[in-house]
Amino acid sequence: MKSSIFRNSRDVFLDIVNAKDYIQLDRVSTIYQSLKNSVKKPLKMILLYGKPGTGKSMFLTKLYHDLSTSQDVYMYKTPILDESEFYKTLAQDLFKIKYRGELNFTQFMKVVEEHDVGIVPLVLLDEAQLYSNPLMEKIRLLSDTRKVKFVITLHKTEKEDLIAKEHFQTRIWESIELENASSVELKIYIQKKLMKANCFDSANMFNAKAVNLIYKLTNGNYRDSNKLLYTLFDIYTHYEDKGDTSKMNRNHVSHKIIEMAALHTGLIHD
Amino acid sequence: MINVNELEAKWLKYKIKSFIPHIVIFLSITIISAVFILFNAKSVQTNTVEVSSIQKLKTESKKEIPIVKTEQKIILEQKKVLLKPQPKAKIEEIVKVQSIIQEKQKTIHNYNTQKNRLSPSLDFMAKLQGDTLPYFDTGSQDRITEVTTKETPAKVEIQKTPKRSVRTPIQPIVKKSSIQIDRQNTHDDISQVIKRFKKNNNPALSLFIAKKYYQLGEYHQSYNYSLMTNEIDNDIEASWIIFTKSLVKLHEKSMAIETLKKYISHSNSHRAKILLDDITSGKFK
Repeated sequence: MKSSIFRNSRDVFLDIVNAKDYIQLDRVSTIYQSLKNSVKKPLKMILLYGKPGTGKSMFLTKLYHDLSTSQDVYMYKTPILDESEFYKTLAQDLFKIKYRGELNFTQFMKVVEEHDVGIVPLVLLDEAQLYSNPLMEKIRLLSDTRKVKFVITLHKTEKEDLIAKEHFQTRIWESIELENASSVELKIYIQKKLMKANCFDSANMFNAKAVNLIYKLTNGNYRDSNKLLYTLFDIYTHYEDKGDTSKMNRNHVSHKIIEMAALHTGLIHD
Repeated sequence: MINVNELEAKWLKYKIKSFIPHIVIFLSITIISAVFILFNAKSVQTNTVEVSSIQKLKTESKKEIPIVKTEQKIILEQKKVLLKPQPKAKIEEIVKVQSIIQEKQKTIHNYNTQKNRLSPSLDFMAKLQGDTLPYFDTGSQDRITEVTTKETPAKVEIQKTPKRSVRTPIQPIVKKSSIQIDRQNTHDDISQVIKRFKKNNNPALSLFIAKKYYQLGEYHQSYNYSLMTNEIDNDIEASWIIFTKSLVKLHEKSMAIETLKKYISHSNSHRAKILLDDITSGKFK
């Protein structure tokens, strides 16, 4: 299949968390800088929270990518739900100790206290809302030893406010909230993302009206926007492959195709 | 792979759905505004019609009074003129003036009939008087038939109101005057009564004058005065009797019969019936 402008543009918006795909926006950059500063401080636990699709995972990935060269940083994108497995993984990564049998919290605490690593290692835990409450309590106790520093991300949904829970309230020293993009930010995000992949023509197709419609449909959510834009360029690719050029305008993004993409992704319903 | 055709169909469905509330709102607004505009237009129309009709009535009523007054004056003046011998040129002028008055009287007549729905129909008078002969001018012997006949129906309408109030108190005066005339059958006495009649326009006096002229054999004058009496008050039986008798004497027998018939149909007068029998049978010539 020959490569085309629309196919390349479509692939830009694949839902993959990659530090290289991180788009610097003014507000996001400020937040990221404050997170980096917080990491340097002697804090026990840093919380990164926000609604799904606001870029928490990307933030954490970027942080890992940036700090991994200068200090010990360990990132766990998928939660390790088994307690023993969690301790064994940390023991192996942080202290290079392999345990074949079971490792309980008491044994792991002994290992942590015995080892003096110098610079406190940074453990990044994504999707922390999936950890059980007893495990979260034990993570809190681990952070109290000041031998391990944790940066955790979790969803702040309207249904359940996890931050309000006791183990977060008492132990969190720094909390950073991530929010959806504004209409202007979304335009910059789309255009920067496309230009990064050398899709300049596609980037120029997004005028204020088109972006406003996308913003209206996605509410500035990065994940939803990525999904929508991926489908949008997929439709364009389809028209291009069929040679149906009458249905696509190369100067600006068609509202019809935006809405079709929104229908396909479930952002709107017929 | 995306099924674009299916997606297009979905999009069309979505678009139609999304436009429905807009269409409904638009239609409801247009319907409401149309109803509102129609309602307003109707109310404005009715208001303007009411206002214009009220204004018309006001203006007509304002105009009416002077017309009636002037007209009454003109009638009196005309009667004076008719009673005196007039040159032909003057008669033409009178004809013109009377035609103008006649038009005004028609409008007044319409207005009066609209207001007084319960008043008895006096159409027979118009017909009756339309058939009657004009006043006779004793001096010049010139007939101004058209003028007088056209004038009569409206005059009867206008003089309608004062007739009852005038009739009852004047009856004794007629008797008194009749007693005086019985004693003196001279023309001087009649002229005195004519003067009085000109002053107060009393039908009893005009009837008296008509009777006296009839007795004196001056049938043209008796015709004139009985006609005037009828115009002032159309319910005086004696006046109609003198009127028809004068007509017979003036060789207008057919008109006299017709007049009597119409009067009888209106009043059921016994005397009139007897007179009609006499005229038709030839007893009265």
